[in-house]
Formats: sequence, structure tokens, C-alpha cells
Amino acid sequence: MKALVWQGVNRVGVETVPDPTILQPTDAIVRITSTAICGSDLHLLDGYIPTMVHGDILGHEFMGEVVEVGREVRKVKVGDRVIVPFPIACGHCWFCQHDLTSLCDNSNANAKLAEKMFGYAPSGIYGYSHLTGGYAGGQAQFARTLYADDNLFKIPGGLTDDQVLFLTDILPTGYMGALNCDIQAGDTVAVYGCGPVGLFTIMSAFLLGAGRVIAIDRFPYRLAKAAALGADPLNYEQEEVLEALKLRTGGRGPDSVVDAVGMESHGLGLGGLADAVKQTTRVLESDRPHALRSAIISVRKGGTVSVPGVFGGFGDKIPLGAFMNKALTMRTGQTHVHRFVPRLLEHIVKGEIDPTVIISHRLSLDEAPHGYHIFKHKEDHCVKCVLDPWAAPRQGNASGTSKAMGAD
Amino acid sequence: MDVGSPLGGPATSGIADALKGALPGGTGKASQEQRRVTLILGGVLLTLGLRRVSFGGAALALAGGALLYRELSRQSGQAGAETHMAEVTRSITIGKSAAELYRFWREGGHLPRVMGHFAEITETDMDQAHWTVRVPGGRSLSWDTRVVESRPGELVSWQSLPGTELPNRGEVHFRPAPGDRGTEVTLRLHFQPPGGTLGAAAARALNGLVPSLLVGDALRRFKSLVETGEIPTLDRNPSARASTA
Ligand SMILES: [Zn+2]
Ligand SMILES: [Zn+2]
Repeated sequence: MKALVWQGVNRVGVETVPDPTILQPTDAIVRITSTAICGSDLHLLDGYIPTMVHGDILGHEFMGEVVEVGREVRKVKVGDRVIVPFPIACGHCWFCQHDLTSLCDNSNANAKLAEKMFGYAPSGIYGYSHLTGGYAGGQAQFARTLYADDNLFKIPGGLTDDQVLFLTDILPTGYMGALNCDIQAGDTVAVYGCGPVGLFTIMSAFLLGAGRVIAIDRFPYRLAKAAALGADPLNYEQEEVLEALKLRTGGRGPDSVVDAVGMESHGLGLGGLADAVKQTTRVLESDRPHALRSAIISVRKGGTVSVPGVFGGFGDKIPLGAFMNKALTMRTGQTHVHRFVPRLLEHIVKGEIDPTVIISHRLSLDEAPHGYHIFKHKEDHCVKCVLDPWAAPRQGNASGTSKAMGAD
Repeated sequence: MDVGSPLGGPATSGIADALKGALPGGTGKASQEQRRVTLILGGVLLTLGLRRVSFGGAALALAGGALLYRELSRQSGQAGAETHMAEVTRSITIGKSAAELYRFWREGGHLPRVMGHFAEITETDMDQAHWTVRVPGGRSLSWDTRVVESRPGELVSWQSLPGTELPNRGEVHFRPAPGDRGTEVTLRLHFQPPGGTLGAAAARALNGLVPSLLVGDALRRFKSLVETGEIPTLDRNPSARASTA
């Protein structure tokens, strides 16, 4: 089959790889009909997560049709159209049984490596480095999925791929980011980052009763997207964030601030590697932890900082003094996608959430390297690339150029 | 990994080759035996590491290689003279009752899969098992164990029979965990090198590495097996490294 593989730092390419096969009796093979590039994939691309190996298949946002099931699979049937949450849940451990699926005890095949870095291992994740299991990802034509009965969500007919694809990660991630703010009716929520997760956080915050959402970014086209969702845009290159937020909230500050940026690039658990790599990532580092620092400083006293943005390693100069003296709460975590899929699916069916508005580009799998490029460099007003693994490369686009399609 | 590698890179296959030549080396019977045991342990780590193409695998291979390298580069007579008995203990919580887990351990026939990352085990009967650990160069180390104590719902302990090169014993305890969490399972393995004189470096390496490898992995595998019916695997995981993945 064809798959997008990591070929080294800042190099991805489409290669022919072996088809996945059923390895365990609870596995299912999915023929992928739609898959997406995620912001967190960029940090695998950048090579800052030290557990990537040349040839690893990327992608953790994918859906498709079940084409084969293991002998223990009971609920999922061949022919089912399903979405696949990015964290892998065994369905049986204490965490899975308490709706904390991204903390599953059993699904990470490289748990001992993750324990070295985090003390305890989070769940496995498809296509997301060997720290989270090393499983082949879904930017491919097929994928092996684990514990199928507990992970694959059947999609009702009548919904398009575009409507449900983001249930695999970014929509629940934005939703959990908003939920973690513990929004009271009329609250003001500030959201750092107007990428896909930030935009879904904005939608979710309104859904959960926020009176006002202030969207912070520096790219005008992304701020325009946020404004279209009803948020007040704040360009941090033009306004000083703390003063601007105070002005807009009568000096109180937002009740909660969401860091939908993260600094996942700093996945540095290996002692001495940390400093060396940090030097090479100065640009990113000065940029990314900035959002968290600023969130802690600019949230109101007694407020909540919610962190759906991914962090991998260590953060420098986190203002703990402000955090403590302002009596703040911080809530975070990889998304427990499984917990949120049913209610979000309902919102989509009722038309209360339209996830398709964030799609800026539709590309074939062959064009995925180009998708990574424009997404990383914020070119061509890129917000979200959806890939079709079966589409023929567009004519005249063999060199990787492509046209913006869809919402923009 | 907390064991620094003196190797510049993944030069572990060279070490594996060196191992073949180095095994018969050493002066005097005691030192020869020490070297052999250390080499075997290093070799086990190396084998475990090289079996997988992953960062974790590479790190394990390097650590195993480091242990081998240390032993191979040590001049004879430099070996630590202290007595070391490597003992490692790890604990895990499993969402089943102590009685169920005891039955799984004793009667489930699961031991070969639980220890499959480390040793090939054939259970000759409920109390006896034959363990084989392969080391580089086509060699292997094996021993027989016999259950010496078992209390239903509480513990099982076993011991290697006399005459093995690497005498060892182990025990697993089951204790109810608070609330709905199931059972705390504690696994302890002791390795008693011949004459009690395993070199200091090897013992340190044992303390640092083998626990997470043998004991931690065994517990995780046991937990996954009894909670989900399977042990996560990456065998035949598709990648652009087709032949090795
Ligand atoms: Zn994602
Ligand atoms: Zn689980």
C-alpha cells in the first residue's frame, strides 16, 4: 500500500510499504477513506521527538471502512464505516473503565520507554513516535487498528467523511480544552492559537455557555476564521496581550485561558539531549512556551488555565509565582477521545457544530508532503489538510504544488 | 537510559561479533566464570534490544552493548571482588481479584507468554518449568525451576534446581488494592551468580536495567494478558523498513 513515512528530520515522503495484517484476535483492518495532517505531526516532522525511526508511517487522524476483523471482534463488522480515535484504549484497564482512555495502561507497546520519560506510560497512539507505542499510522491506504470493539466508532449514514473525520482528535481535543475551563454561563474565555484545535475550542466554548471568546494568534487569516465563529480576534503582534485582555474585560482578565498552541516540539526526556536540542530549536522555544507563560500571567485571579496543546518534555521559566499567588487551576491531558465522541456526534447530527469549516485543503496522499510544507509554513492560508489516500495525484501537480480547495 | 554507552553509535553488531571471540577468554576458572556470566547478561540485553527496530530497542541494544563493552575491555584481575546478589522487585496493579490472578499465574499456562520477552519456558508440570535464554553467537543458557511455595490468592515462589550456571529464584505476591483497583502484584527475581562474585559493573547494570527489562516487562505482559487477553505487539508493523519491521 501507499503510506506517508518519516524519512528523517524535515523529510516525509510517500512510499510503498507492506499492507497491515491482523496480529491479535481483537484487531481490525481499516481501508482508509480520509485522513488528516495534525499540528502535532509537524513536530514529528521537525524531528524534535527523539523516538522516530526512518520509515515510520505517520498519521493519527483517520477513518474508513472495516475490511477485516480478528476472530474475537464482536461488535465491529466488515463493511462498517468507522472513525478511529487517536489514543488506543484497551477497554479493560482501570483508566479505560473510568473514561480516561488516553491514559490506558495496556495499549502502549513501548510503555517502558514512556515510563523513562514520564514516570508512567500514557496510552498508545497511532503514528506518533515510538514513545506512544510505535504503531503504524493512518496517513496510508490501510491501517491495523487495535481492540476494535472498544475503539472503532460506527458512523451513521448520511454524514460525510469531512463531517466526522475530526472526531478522531482535534474536535474532541478542542472540546476537552473548553470543558477543562469549567465554563460558567457568561464567562470570558481567551484561546491562544487559532489553528484547528483553537478553532474547535472556540466553537466548544460557545456551546458550553461562554459569553465571550477572545481568540489570540498572529496570522490574520486564522484570526478571521476565529472571528467568523464569533470570537473577538486579538493579534499579539499588534497588541500587548495582558493589557489588551484587561481592556476587554474591565480589568478583571479572562475567567479562563486555553493554550491551544503547546510546545510539543520539546519532547526531550533524555537528559543531556535536552540542552543540545533546545539550542537548535530556539525559534520554536521562544514562541511556544510563551503561550503558556502568557496564559498564566493574563488569566484572572482564581482562574483556570486549560492546556490542550501538546507538550513533550520540559518547559523553561513557567511563572510559578503567578500561578501560585493567583490561586490558579491548570487542567490538561491528551484527549480522552472516546468519552466525547457520542455527544459530539450528536452535536454534528443536530447541526450545532460544523467541523468542515476548518478544512482549507483537500489533497491526495501523494501530495501529503506538500500539505506538510504549507501547513508548517502557514502558506496558502493553510488551516487543515484532509488527504484522500486513493485519489490519483492531480495532473500537473506531480511536483507537489496544489490549489487551495474548500472553505477558503 | 541511565547507563552511559562508551560506544559512539549503534555499533552493537561489532560487539556481538567480539563476543564470540571473547567468550573463551579470561584467566583462572573463577574470573572466566564471572566474565562468562557478565557476557551472557550483556548478551541478553543486546539480544532483547536488537530484536526490535525502535528507539527503545536501539537504547536497549546500546545499554547491552555497553555492558558487554565494559566487560570485554576490562583487564583480567580488575573484576570486582565484592559479593553481589542481584535482586529486583517491581509492582503493578491489575484489575482482577487476587484469587483470579493466582489462578492465572499457577494454572493458566501463561508463564511462557509472560516471560516470552526474556526466556523460552516449557512448563513440565504445574510446579516445574524449563527456562532457556538465548544469547548471541547461537549459545543459550538454561535452567529448571521448581515451585517451592504457593498459597492460593497470596503468593507463588520458585527456585532454580541445583547445578545451573546462573542460580536464581523468584516470587510473585498478590495483595488487594484499594477501592475498585483490583490487586497489587509484586514480582521479585533474585539472580545468584556462581560463587557470589559477579563483577561490580555487571551488578550495577543488573540493578539498573534488568528490573525494567525482565521484571517490569513481565508484569506488564501479565497485566495486559489477563486484562485484555493479549500482549501488545509490533511484530509485522508496516513501515518503510519492510524487512525488519
Ligand atoms: Zn492530531
Ligand atoms: Zn486501557
